[in-house]
Amino acid sequence: MMAETNSDTQVSESLDLRKMIETIPALVVCALPDGSADAVNRAWQEYTGDSVQRPNGWGWQAAVHPDDLAGFVDEWNATLASGKPFAAETRIKRANGEYHWFLMRKTLAVLPTPGGQSSLRALIAFENIDDLKRTEATLRQAETLLRAFFENSPNVIFLKDREGRYLYANRQFERVFGIDGEEIKGKHDFELFSPEQASAFRGNDRLVLEAGAPKEFEEISLQKDGAHTSIVQKFPLFNSEGEIYAIGGIATDITDRKREETARHFSEEKHRLALETASDAIVSVDENSVIQAANPATTRIFGFDSTEMIGQPLTVLMPESLRKMHEKGFKRYLATGQRVLNWQATELTARHKDGHELAVEVSFGELQSEGQRVFTGFIRDITERKRAEVTLKESERALRELTETIPQMLWSAAADGTVRYCNQRVLDYTGLSTEEVHGTGWMSAVHEDDREGIGQAWAAAVRTGEPFQYEFRCLRAADRKYRWCVTSALPLRDRTGDITRWFGSVVDLHDWKEAQQALQMTQMELARVSRFTTMGELAASIAHEVNQPLTAVTNNSSACLRLLANHNLAPDVLRRALEEIVSDGARASAVITRIRSFLKKNPGEKSELNVNEVIQEVLALAGRAFYENRVSLDCALAQSLPLVFADRIQLQQVLLNLIMNGIEAMAADRTRELRVESSTDETGDVLVAIRDSGCGIGSDVDRIFDPFFTTKSNGMGMGLSISRTVINNHGGRLWASPNCPHGTVFWFTLPTDRESAS
Amino acid sequence: MSSAPVVFVIDDDPSVRSTLKFLIGTVGLDAESFASTDDFLDRKLPDAPSCLVLDVRLRGLSGLEFQGVLAARNIRIPIIFITGYGDIPMSVRAMKSGAVEFLTKPFRDQDLLEAIRIALDRDRARREQKREISEIQGRFSSLSAREQEVVCMVVAGKLNKQIAGELGTAENTVKVHRSRAMEKMNAQSLADLVRMLEKLKSASGNNL
Repeated sequence: MMAETNSDTQVSESLDLRKMIETIPALVVCALPDGSADAVNRAWQEYTGDSVQRPNGWGWQAAVHPDDLAGFVDEWNATLASGKPFAAETRIKRANGEYHWFLMRKTLAVLPTPGGQSSLRALIAFENIDDLKRTEATLRQAETLLRAFFENSPNVIFLKDREGRYLYANRQFERVFGIDGEEIKGKHDFELFSPEQASAFRGNDRLVLEAGAPKEFEEISLQKDGAHTSIVQKFPLFNSEGEIYAIGGIATDITDRKREETARHFSEEKHRLALETASDAIVSVDENSVIQAANPATTRIFGFDSTEMIGQPLTVLMPESLRKMHEKGFKRYLATGQRVLNWQATELTARHKDGHELAVEVSFGELQSEGQRVFTGFIRDITERKRAEVTLKESERALRELTETIPQMLWSAAADGTVRYCNQRVLDYTGLSTEEVHGTGWMSAVHEDDREGIGQAWAAAVRTGEPFQYEFRCLRAADRKYRWCVTSALPLRDRTGDITRWFGSVVDLHDWKEAQQALQMTQMELARVSRFTTMGELAASIAHEVNQPLTAVTNNSSACLRLLANHNLAPDVLRRALEEIVSDGARASAVITRIRSFLKKNPGEKSELNVNEVIQEVLALAGRAFYENRVSLDCALAQSLPLVFADRIQLQQVLLNLIMNGIEAMAADRTRELRVESSTDETGDVLVAIRDSGCGIGSDVDRIFDPFFTTKSNGMGMGLSISRTVINNHGGRLWASPNCPHGTVFWFTLPTDRESAS
Repeated sequence: MSSAPVVFVIDDDPSVRSTLKFLIGTVGLDAESFASTDDFLDRKLPDAPSCLVLDVRLRGLSGLEFQGVLAARNIRIPIIFITGYGDIPMSVRAMKSGAVEFLTKPFRDQDLLEAIRIALDRDRARREQKREISEIQGRFSSLSAREQEVVCMVVAGKLNKQIAGELGTAENTVKVHRSRAMEKMNAQSLADLVRMLEKLKSASGNNL
């Protein structure tokens, strides 16, 4: 019903409306409720170039930008059904093909039809908003630009409302205070900062509100890295009614500048004091190089009083040789500005009042003072430093020479283990260049099989800081052979205990190692010798074993003889005794066989020997006995001896036996000295003498070589007997004689021709 | 009463052991042999003159060491050492410690038998001395305390008068003690009494 009434009133106005539609500047399309046009106005026709005044159906929509149409078509259709108004921005194609922005609005109207009927129409008006759009874009661009400025500004920028709630804060604000932008918005200072800071900030805000004009404040804020001082410009923002609606702020951090300022202030204060108390001489001269001022240090360094110096030419402080040069140079500088000397820290020679010369370091400065050019020289007495420098240089040179000349390979490495230095010895040994050996280049000199091991050991040492030592094979450049070396290194630590550098050495122990192996061989031979040494003891044991059956045999025989003498020997007793005698005889014979086979197992292996070598070997073996018995050794070996043909082991055995006898024979109350001599006797045989200073053997001299004769409490009396047998077997002789003043000399000879030796 | 003498032999060699026994038997002496010193120690020694023929080289303790063990146990049996090998210091040590003889194997039969004879004589004399001392000891113990006191003073060479003075008694009383003691001790003379007490004194010193 309501709609009906509505249509009636609109019908009456329809003519005027149509006229109006034609005249209004907007583009108008008159459409049926379903959106199909039945008329367009002139403006539409002119704009779109459409000559048809009554377009059919939906053809008008061809002028609408397809993208826009797609965007609002659903909504449009919805409003057609419901009759609700509709508005949208859209681009409409002009006759020349260009699109322009329009605001499209739809309203419903009742229009008269040609048949005098009135019907419902949708009036679609298009208002050109192209300019508006363009302005908007420009504005948006300007805003983006402005925002970029704000966001990237090194200043803190913010906006607060009258109540102090943040409306905006730039990125720098977030950064320095460590607060997220979204958290800041709508918050008070009291919610973001400490009460002291917040009330200070807020107080300043109020001053701006009261004044209604921009104001500048120095605000101190606590930031993540400490207190910062900022100059903050706060300004009011007015709305169209001229009321303040917000306060803007731009803060400039002046902490560093503030610090500099304080420093500058302090330095000026200090300056005068420094001038007076400076250890350097400070002398000012005018354009004529006449001294205008001098500080107390000048007197100390040069010996002149200030009063003596002022008015004098600067050259009084210079040795004769430099004066001319100074005058010329000074003049040239004044004329051309060309400097002869470097003005900073130039080392020169100066002259003391008493005439002696001293080393100084001079810096110059020039300034204008009341139209005059004033030159100030800062003169430092570096005599001591020079001396120290010379000493240091010398000690450094000495050290370098030392590292280069000492017969050891040295290297050093950085804390991370990279080699930084190797002395010349290392380079000579490995044949590598300085560049090649650095870093991990030295590895190329290490034997392939040792590389991994040394690498790991070194890495472990670097990691743990433990002293480093490793045995490896190193390629010697001289003969292209790998030789056993040992390298060790220790870390150098600074005061905090951190490793600053490693210092290491390399020692070629190839020869030593070979000697060690040779020693091991000798020791193995020694084992054989000692087995042979127990021969004496073995012989004693054999004697016991032989004597047992022998005793049984004699006992049985004696008993039988006694019984026989008494006519009391029963045949069965005799038989038993004789059987036992046979059995014991066999026992004795078995023992003898054992000795034979033992000796057969040790046949002598004769070769050409230098007796001196054998003596040295035995002395090395007996070294401990000398030490333990505190016997001193005197060795007098012939320079050269003819070779003998002998069994080395047996000869060692004899020598060891004689030497040990000598050591054991020496009592505690006399000088204990054992002398070993070698020479050639008149027949050309090698003659060896072992002299002790012991108690001597006195009248037993004839018996000592008998088996089982001994003067020692723990001896078996076999050593000398065997020794004599050995020497005899070699075609030589072994005998003893008293030594002078006391003790015994044992002598033995060995023939030098093969035949008598074998 | 002493029974027939015994010769003990310790040697780890069975042949040596049996032949020694055989040899010793030829002179009418009883011989007992042992393979080790422990076996010998287990045997209760007879109440008869005896001696020990001891091998130096034995398993376990050496003969010389065993000599020390016997001395420590107060077994004073005379020892004859026999050894397969030996040196002068070894024999000196053995002789100093009271060995009768030190023979090197193989030894002559008469040397061993002579050594055994000496050893048995020595043991016989020792046993006789020991018997005599214990007899004197027995008689001395039968004296009263006062008589023992008087005897000791008499033996020390004091006159009756002096003794009476020291003991605070009459000289006659001393004379009575003295004659009773002489009688009990079975002493023929003062000299006899002195000799008996000397024997006692040395025996107690020797701890026989």
